[in-house]
Amino acid sequence: MLVRVSSLALSLLLIGGCAANHSPVLGSGNISYGDPKAVELVTNEFGSTDLQMIAESMTRSLAQSGVLKGRPVVQVYDVRNKTSEYIDTRDITTSIKTQLMRSGTARFASDNTDMQSQVDHLKLQNQSGLYKKSTVAKTGNMIAARYRLEGSISSIVKRSNDYKDVFYTFSLQLIDVESGLADWMDEKEIRKTTER
Amino acid sequence: MGLKCFVVIALALLAGCATPLPTAASKVMATGPIESLAIGPMRMARENGFLTVNTQLSNTDTDNRTLYYRYLWLGPEGFPVVEAESWKSLTLYAEQTSFLPAIAPVPQAVDFRLEINTP
Repeated sequence: MLVRVSSLALSLLLIGGCAANHSPVLGSGNISYGDPKAVELVTNEFGSTDLQMIAESMTRSLAQSGVLKGRPVVQVYDVRNKTSEYIDTRDITTSIKTQLMRSGTARFASDNTDMQSQVDHLKLQNQSGLYKKSTVAKTGNMIAARYRLEGSISSIVKRSNDYKDVFYTFSLQLIDVESGLADWMDEKEIRKTTER
Repeated sequence: MGLKCFVVIALALLAGCATPLPTAASKVMATGPIESLAIGPMRMARENGFLTVNTQLSNTDTDNRTLYYRYLWLGPEGFPVVEAESWKSLTLYAEQTSFLPAIAPVPQAVDFRLEINTP
């Protein structure tokens, strides 16, 4: 009897011991969440810190410039990637757009990639006969952009036996659609060097 | 006499408008000991509705130093009005003095803190 009780108690203790994890974590300890704002120096290719620095620098320069008075409508065009690397430049423009939206300085028209979805949806509402007439969005009321925002990123890469140096230049300009004049322009330079 | 009065009034007005330079101690948040780095005057102004800040930093070492920094933007109650910005890396040459300019991301920011890490 004593042996049975002892073995039961021991089993319960062991089970209890195994389950003594008070943190709300599931899975192995090899994976962890890091600081998304940390300086990333894993390789010297274009990385998260470069994206964040460019978006922050451009957004703040534009917002504070005073050009965007009265929350004008802006259409964002893709940033041309003139580097030899694959860079999803859409990430840069989306980040700039998000930060400008948060600052409350601009409104955004459907950009070139979203335009088809916008037109399709307007057609669907107006031509399919599926929707209640009073709730249908009318055509001819889309707001035209006053400015377009476009830019480019380029790089100069130099290699020697001891070093690899990458120099990025990101430039962005805000162009008045009616006049065709660039009302604001800025650039951000980033140098990344790897010593082998 | 008229000119003298004008100068006195203009000086008084200018003195009234100028934002007193904040002291480094009240604005800097160090994540660890700050070594071989002198934090100089800080300038705070409002331009086109956005708070702008500039901080003077000097490397007191005879070697180049890399430091990491970021600004935190605070509202009137002293709490952040936006999420913290990304950390940035800055290399200061031996005994070099440089400046860290920044613009608040939202007009609601009325104060700031400079977070510094010297590895």
